[in-house]
Amino acid sequence: MMLRGYIINLCLSLFSFGSLAMAATPIQEATLNNGVRVLLMEAHNVPMVAMKLVMPAGSRFDAEGKAGTATLLAGMLSDHTAKHDFTAWADLLDADAIRLGAHAGRDGFNISLTVLKDALQPGLDALTESLLQPGWNTKRFAIMKQDSIAAAQKEKEEPGVQASAAGAALLFANHPYGHRSSGSMESLARIDLADLKTLYARQIKPQGAVLAVSGDITMAELLPLLNARLAHWTGKAAKGLNDIDKAKAVAGLQRDVALPTSQMLVQLLRLGPARNDSDFFPVFVLNHILGGGGFGSRLMEEVREKRGLVYGVYSYFIPLAVPGSFVISLQTRADQAGQAEAVVRQVMADMAAGKISNKQFKASKENLIGSFAQRMDSNRERVGLMAMIGMYHLPLDYLSRWTDRVGAVTLAQVKTQASKYLTPAQWNRVRVGPAAALKSAPLKATPQKTTPQKAITPKKPVNHTITH
Amino acid sequence: MPLYLTIIFIFFGSLLVATANAGELKQASFKNGVKLVVEEDHSAPVAMVQIWLKVGGRDEVPGKTGLAHVFEHMMFKGSKKLDAGEYSKRISAMGGNDNAFTSTDYTAYFETVPAARVAEVLGMEAERFAHLRLRDVDFQKEIRVIMEERRMRTEDDPNSRMFEELSAASLRLHPYRNPVIGWMQDLKALTINDVRAFYQQHYVPGNVIVVVVGDVDFEQVKNTVAKTFGKMKARPVDARFNPKEPESFGPKRIQVRLPAELPMLAVTIPLPVWQPGKNDTEVAALALATHILAGGRSARMTRELVDKQRKAFTASAGYDPTAMGLDLWYAYALLGPKQSPAAFEKALWLLLGDMAEQPVLASELAAAKRNMIAANVFAQDSLYLRAKEIGHLEVVGIGAANRDRWLDAIASIKPADIQQVVSQYLLPERSTTGVLLPVKKAATKTPKKKNKAEVKS
Repeated sequence: MMLRGYIINLCLSLFSFGSLAMAATPIQEATLNNGVRVLLMEAHNVPMVAMKLVMPAGSRFDAEGKAGTATLLAGMLSDHTAKHDFTAWADLLDADAIRLGAHAGRDGFNISLTVLKDALQPGLDALTESLLQPGWNTKRFAIMKQDSIAAAQKEKEEPGVQASAAGAALLFANHPYGHRSSGSMESLARIDLADLKTLYARQIKPQGAVLAVSGDITMAELLPLLNARLAHWTGKAAKGLNDIDKAKAVAGLQRDVALPTSQMLVQLLRLGPARNDSDFFPVFVLNHILGGGGFGSRLMEEVREKRGLVYGVYSYFIPLAVPGSFVISLQTRADQAGQAEAVVRQVMADMAAGKISNKQFKASKENLIGSFAQRMDSNRERVGLMAMIGMYHLPLDYLSRWTDRVGAVTLAQVKTQASKYLTPAQWNRVRVGPAAALKSAPLKATPQKTTPQKAITPKKPVNHTITH
Repeated sequence: MPLYLTIIFIFFGSLLVATANAGELKQASFKNGVKLVVEEDHSAPVAMVQIWLKVGGRDEVPGKTGLAHVFEHMMFKGSKKLDAGEYSKRISAMGGNDNAFTSTDYTAYFETVPAARVAEVLGMEAERFAHLRLRDVDFQKEIRVIMEERRMRTEDDPNSRMFEELSAASLRLHPYRNPVIGWMQDLKALTINDVRAFYQQHYVPGNVIVVVVGDVDFEQVKNTVAKTFGKMKARPVDARFNPKEPESFGPKRIQVRLPAELPMLAVTIPLPVWQPGKNDTEVAALALATHILAGGRSARMTRELVDKQRKAFTASAGYDPTAMGLDLWYAYALLGPKQSPAAFEKALWLLLGDMAEQPVLASELAAAKRNMIAANVFAQDSLYLRAKEIGHLEVVGIGAANRDRWLDAIASIKPADIQQVVSQYLLPERSTTGVLLPVKKAATKTPKKKNKAEVKS
């Protein structure tokens, strides 16, 4: 499908937050004896249950030079167990339509489960078995490692992947956030099964873990099922979520990656706010005005709507335990990259200088508040939000007070954050594109960004849909 | 943030969301040909509004590919009452999101909004539908945006480019041979007059299906549609271009040489699509066969070709029984540095041959059925997917009212049915094979030339 701009694609149910302070169903909380925090939102309209167990074991815990360890651990835990080899395990899961997966982000590592209500018990059995009885099959590890290295090579065809690797290295040199979670060909080649076991032994522990659940179930039903399965799991993660130093800010750095494409991908980047930053909401609104809000945003207006230079231009920041990246990204025909970058820098400078109209400010807030209900309108989204709330220790009324907090942001606060974050000289630049164009563009003149990255899976040959 | 990343999903014919838990469909038809389908769901105070058009890439004439999608972009460029961009701003101000999508078979415009604003949104949709302002100055900018979109999606992505070439080689007549985004030379040649002619010809009430899912009342929505889309003057509706693809007389093959890191191989085969009441068993068997090959953790292509035989590092397949006229079934493999396209290809045909000769296990078939039915339940979790299924089934002529039949068809399939369709359809002599062969990096020169050519536009 082609969607207009980079709005999320199908499947991810559109994120909107309805304008209704949407009596967000309250989050219920319980703690198991072993320390696992359980967060639940009931939703009885579809006979299904979704959940996510999240622990501080993401890629920032990869040993030095071994980027991709947490991602390989995720692959191994969901592939087989001590009791079931990979074929028996796949058959067991498919027999009950149990969707079990594991994934490593930067901070968090999660195991997720989606099941029909009537398969909840076998689903929980499967989640528990993958979590507590890893199989550590050496042959499977070798296959997984080899395929991951091949996938990493294939990914080098993608400008977005190249940019994100270069950007992480630029912003976070010698810092645990300085690599992509999936690793690189070189780092994956250095990983042994022992590295996975070490990470597992240190970080996959109940104290510090959060289990977020949404669906057709009550806390009274859920707790006995969990206690029966997880009671023997004990211990505390060696390192906590907040055991990490801030990266040192850098400015004015540049990195170019040559790729034989027709477009140039330009990303400007710097450090953004952390998840617990007291100015989180003003920066959130600022980013929405800048390039996070799709068609109404300043960048979209100036670069696409007025000049037709790009299909997509957008901005986002990744709030982590400590400041993560704040990124502006676009893709345009290589010879237009300098022009597009100049427009972006002008928008940044204008906003940093306080040129943000009250009208624009209000429109962004209205949109954010209005679309809140939609951000939570599926079990998958609710589980993701609760896992985030639990892991970063945000208050449990985070969702029910979300619209109030956005509503309370003032234009003066947004302008303060604009002057703090949007001064062009404080940003760095990554470009990915044809070598000739990289050479010809003078150092200062050319950054830009890209539209959303594509998944590595090839698209369906025909009959696919495209968005606006 | 992952929220902002576009993810391309491949459906295994699971667009059919069938019954499980779906609400009751309520429908109305208006004299001018406009149709309304509503599914009420009062679990949250939001609604999804989708306006579906029976026009897409297949309705373009040769030399003007990409026009349906270009037109979709122009729908955001202003109408009699609303300036360019104003439409989305109003939706945004009411706390909604809007967007649109185009495929070979349809174009759809959608908004997620607070349920209380549905009438207002339908009014705005009807206004721009009837009174679009098509200015050349807007078109000139937008066509450049779309060329960037094509560069991003296709020209700079070797896998996409290979699939585009393969589709074109697979079919001689059927419009699925053309990319929805359009060939670059066609995009360069399009004019505002083409856009205006397209508007006059295709944006007529008889091509409209209004779908609303969410916290609404059917009677109220019906009244609103009667006063908006329902009031438009009836105009003639063209029959859709849906030619019969000639049979082929042997396997076809192409090579695509591009700068890339690793090779890819894909195979396509034209398959029948669902005509309720006529071929339910055949098409459901094809969907299940594809699921057994490529769906779930126990997918045969992954287990046999990737994990056991080590012929690829990723392999999958897909089939959409809700396409129009035919569907191009496909299988593909991503190959590692020591894996050869020829060896994968041989192993794939052996796997398919085995499926034609040996009945699938009862447990395997049961798991496939259970997973397809579960996928339908999980899809109920999203208003967007629910509305999309309804609109899609209407537009291609299957009819949303038939969605319950699908689960019945799936449930009735026996191992012999699968053997039958695999041996009848999934054959080398009906296939087209494409191989992406990486060209070593003398590549830097190529894009330079390409750029020059494009500057002329």
